[in-house]
Amino acid sequence: MVRVDARRPVHFCDGLTRRDFLHVGSLAALGVTLPSLFQLKAAGAVKKDVNCIFLFLVGGPSQLDTFDMKPDAPAEIRGPYKPIKTNCPDIQISEIFPNLAKHADKFSIIRTLHHKAAGVHDTGHQMMQTGRLFQNGMEHPHAGCVVSFLRGSHDGMPPHVLMPRPIGNTGGNMPHGQNAGFLGKSHDPFILNEEPDKPDFKVPDLLPPDYMSAVRIDRRRKLRDLVDQSVQQMEATPDARLLDENFQQAYTLMSSANAREGFDLSSEPAVLREAYGMNKFGQSCLLARRLLERGVRFATINMFETVFNEITWDIHGSAPFSPIECYQDLVGPMLDHGLSTLLEDLSQRGMLETTLIVAMGEFGRTPKINPAGGRDHWPQVWSVLMAGGGIQGGRVVGKTDDIAAYPVERPVTPAEVVATAYHCLGIDLETELPGPANRPIPIVDYGVKPILELV
Amino acid sequence: MRGNFVSVRLPLLLFGFVAVCPHAEVVILPADVVLNHQGAQHQLLVEQRTGANWEGDLTVRAQFQSSDPQIASVDEHGTLWANGNGTATITATVEGQSATATVEVKGIDAPYHASFRNDIEPLLFRMGCSTGACHGAAAGKNGFKLSLRGFDIEWDHKVLTRQANGRRVSLVEPEESLMLLKPTMQVPHEGGKRFEKDSETYRILLDWIQNGAPAAPEEERRLKAIRVLPESVTLGAGAEQQILVQAHYTDGTYSDATRRTKFGTTDESVAVVDEGGKVAVKGPGAVSVTAWYSGRVATARLTVPRPQNVAPDVYRTAKSNNYIDELVLRQLRRLQIAPAGEATDREFIRRAYLDAIGILPTLEETTAFLADSAPAKRAKLIDQLLERPEYTDYWAYKWSDLLLLSSKNIPRREELSAFYRYIRESVAQNKPWDQFVREILTATGSTLENGAANYFVMHKETVDLTETTSQAFLGMSITCARCHNHPLEKWTQDDYFGMANLFARVKLKNGRRGNDTEVLVDDFGDVIHPRLGKPVPPRPLDGETMEPNAPEDRREHLARWLTAPENPYFTRAVVNRVWRNFMGRGLVEPEDDLRLTNPALNEELMQALCDDLVEHQYDLKHLIRRIMNSATYQRSSRPADTAAPDDKHYSQYLVRRLSAEVLLDAYSQVTGVPTEFAGYPAGFRALQLPDSQIGSYFLSAFGRPARIQTCSCERTDDSNVAQTLHVANGDTLNGKLRHEKSFLAQFAEGDSNDDAVVETLFVRAVARPPSPAETQAVVTVLTAIPREGDTWKADRRQALEDLAWAVLTGKEFIFNH
Repeated sequence: MVRVDARRPVHFCDGLTRRDFLHVGSLAALGVTLPSLFQLKAAGAVKKDVNCIFLFLVGGPSQLDTFDMKPDAPAEIRGPYKPIKTNCPDIQISEIFPNLAKHADKFSIIRTLHHKAAGVHDTGHQMMQTGRLFQNGMEHPHAGCVVSFLRGSHDGMPPHVLMPRPIGNTGGNMPHGQNAGFLGKSHDPFILNEEPDKPDFKVPDLLPPDYMSAVRIDRRRKLRDLVDQSVQQMEATPDARLLDENFQQAYTLMSSANAREGFDLSSEPAVLREAYGMNKFGQSCLLARRLLERGVRFATINMFETVFNEITWDIHGSAPFSPIECYQDLVGPMLDHGLSTLLEDLSQRGMLETTLIVAMGEFGRTPKINPAGGRDHWPQVWSVLMAGGGIQGGRVVGKTDDIAAYPVERPVTPAEVVATAYHCLGIDLETELPGPANRPIPIVDYGVKPILELV
Repeated sequence: MRGNFVSVRLPLLLFGFVAVCPHAEVVILPADVVLNHQGAQHQLLVEQRTGANWEGDLTVRAQFQSSDPQIASVDEHGTLWANGNGTATITATVEGQSATATVEVKGIDAPYHASFRNDIEPLLFRMGCSTGACHGAAAGKNGFKLSLRGFDIEWDHKVLTRQANGRRVSLVEPEESLMLLKPTMQVPHEGGKRFEKDSETYRILLDWIQNGAPAAPEEERRLKAIRVLPESVTLGAGAEQQILVQAHYTDGTYSDATRRTKFGTTDESVAVVDEGGKVAVKGPGAVSVTAWYSGRVATARLTVPRPQNVAPDVYRTAKSNNYIDELVLRQLRRLQIAPAGEATDREFIRRAYLDAIGILPTLEETTAFLADSAPAKRAKLIDQLLERPEYTDYWAYKWSDLLLLSSKNIPRREELSAFYRYIRESVAQNKPWDQFVREILTATGSTLENGAANYFVMHKETVDLTETTSQAFLGMSITCARCHNHPLEKWTQDDYFGMANLFARVKLKNGRRGNDTEVLVDDFGDVIHPRLGKPVPPRPLDGETMEPNAPEDRREHLARWLTAPENPYFTRAVVNRVWRNFMGRGLVEPEDDLRLTNPALNEELMQALCDDLVEHQYDLKHLIRRIMNSATYQRSSRPADTAAPDDKHYSQYLVRRLSAEVLLDAYSQVTGVPTEFAGYPAGFRALQLPDSQIGSYFLSAFGRPARIQTCSCERTDDSNVAQTLHVANGDTLNGKLRHEKSFLAQFAEGDSNDDAVVETLFVRAVARPPSPAETQAVVTVLTAIPREGDTWKADRRQALEDLAWAVLTGKEFIFNH
């Protein structure tokens, strides 16, 4: 068992206590001389250099219209879309994904995701990204924040970037599992907060203005440190410590050539930018690749930020939600272009082996088309796609019944997907994190295993 | 005969060692038990008590004895059994100390059979069968649908006994009933094994079937209340405590319902609770254990003191100005947290200004306050602040957040202004909160003449009105109940649509002025309940049903119920919001999540504040004055115990970041350069903006709420890297510092004494003189600039900007403390 702990001497499985050997809590603070990844590897928590991209398909894609087609089901079940062949003979997917169909050898489909919590968006967001439902006041960390905590930053880059913005209101008024939870806010993701498809896209205030020389920046920093000494007692409050860490991160980012280049989408060829799709999602995928090339370890991309008054995967068929046709007109092509280009691009650059991609929604949709012509929430079964980072391509895990309503073979839980991600990233599933009151919390519940069919 | 029920032994877990103190007595809980029928049983707890304080569970170490086992026997776990009519005494002995309980057994000759209402339905919920994830889902599961959490008892009885060709319940071969075979996995069950064949649950279900699976008779006793034992207990590190739950019925009887109750805790870092109601302490703090049985919630309060002992004198001598302090100190004492000392006058004036009116005190105001020697000068200052025009700005802004004022929601500027003006005027006249809410909910007429009527312009749909009204004024989200019964609360879909129907007759039409809207009330129209396909009678959640065709505006009925002092949520909601504004942490967190299962950490204090506000006719200034005058509010932000500061129980003033608007205004105030807002006159402060849509990167980055959905979660007071980058590289703060009219201009000439420059700058920004080290460091920077050449003035100005920047981005400035 490995236990990595921010606040106490670290206990290892060999029974030794190595005081001050690792204070991983400081890892996220950029610019600090890090207890290097090397040491963490030695401690056994992180074994390989695989990075990760979570594509969150906010709204909940319909399994029946995407990756679990049932052409033989009655019309009110199978829906308007037809299956098409892929470059893997045994796999068919929806016609809304003609480009993805050419890359089925690179990804695998899990068709039997399901959960038993309330069928609202927020619960699925929590479980898919943290592996757990939030209960009894416990906010669990997003997998990217766990990686941030365990692996720290690299090359002056934030360990975990979330783009373009966090998931906002999806109706349930609950947390969406996109921050660091009990690990503390210093492990929250760096949030882009800008639309990368805007023509003049840049990270706001990343660079000092012209009139701000390096000498002045240094002077400001020193003076600020001096003035802050008068309120040293505030260091006892987490919020005050967080502010200091943010200043440190900001200084590191400002002076980082990696950051400057990483966030500069304009240096990408126009053809490639267009192949990814000139929309928030496509450009975020491209940006994720640039950032991962330059030291970011985990990128989370929210395809949408809400399900209200926006065209999303949430096809109830009536306002303020989306119609089923949007899968063909807008939402499907967005994923089709963005993800297929990402797969191809990473593959050509030799990065696919070291980059895990998980494309997932928070639940599936009702097998039977509703009176409004849409489909409602259905957490009983849905499909998730995984690729790269050691995931075997061209496979299908699990089987659903004739109408894609329930798993009939190999049901898979959200926690297993998260466990598989950790496994691919080389993180020991028995690693424990410091929870509230320093209670050790395992990164996944005891007994949860990776999906061995895929790794 | 032992009857049909057999107890499942409470698991013996590792017990933290509770030593029986010499001063403590040993007590049995409950001290009197009445067992009403054959086979009745009840768990007993042996507790240690000193005075009125319950101090831990000694049950596993106790030895039990019955004076007459023919009447009632007791096993080694403390489980009591009815054997014959009469009265017996139970004695429990722990380490030489003993306690007794009286048990009366009656009705032993009448066999007891499980009741569908009082035994079976609670079990179906407890086992998870009737939850939303299983057969309680709207679509049921695999063709078997129960009502969610058993709210429709007749339906449930029918589907169990009549559907599926009578296979679910087989009266001929009871043990072959699917409702026994499936959950025990004797035949495949997708939901897995829910209980064992030799379990108590199995036997209760079997007993019910063997007895003919009767429906619930109308005249049967009903659940009246549930009670937890002990209601409050103080536990040490590592201790465990069994919680008992009694179900009390309308006929005066009660039974031990512990094993059919669902348990939860509000804070797992303090204690966790298992399925059987056994609590295990994890760390110091206060926590509520919620017991949920058959739609009722009761809470047991657990206190786990810190291990160190604080001298009792600390609490006796701590400053106490009013009941808030008494109740806070009482809890701190229970938890053994030492209160912080008193804030200095300098600290107090800054925080009082920021919290009550959202601006910094000027240098002159600070100086005058410090020089004032009147003993009651803090109370005097508070009174003055509440009469300032900035008080109106600040609180009108706060209630505009709550009411979602934004040009996105009210596109016509005149209408938005009218609503904002209405809010401002209400704050300015200190309109009682209940009157304010009543006026909004019952507003009619032109939206320009009656600004409050814009509430109905913003929220046109009845579902939107229903949800927003509950969230804003009751601090309660009932959105879940729109589609199904609320999973965490008692609200059903029927409650929801009864409430929605109160808004059914609000109509809008174009106003006479051409740029306004007329809000009026029709005398027909109903909201259709989607599942029933017809309206349910108008009824405010758990209030009284209204005659659908009564001539009265239905909203009047709603407003009366909502703002009634008896409404448990209305007063709590506003008290919690105001309290959080000053104390940095709500008595309930999140601020607007007042679920029964989310009680206040200091329930007595919450109640006292609510009583106070009701007694003073919802006068918010009175509440604010009460809070600000408390010694609790006036404590230092430096914790007494720096090693383990407390952030939950108000032992110290909580350090927190200034909010987006306050920080921006403070930058304008200190630098002397106002922020420009497009479309608003020069000098307008952020806290005076009526519309959240006014573009400002600074305000967005620092967490200004978008005012899209009524939720305290919209505002964030967390720091993040984007904010830091903005103050470092953005043009907001840098622009003000570089501005030609910046306060720094007065020093740039260089003829002033450097020491004086530094002092003025510090005093202006953080209301204190610089320390010698600070003066020296800055003077060194300034004197290092060669006083020659063309650039020295510019260089000096830059150095001053850098100094001001350092002060204005330091924690002392950015935080309220």
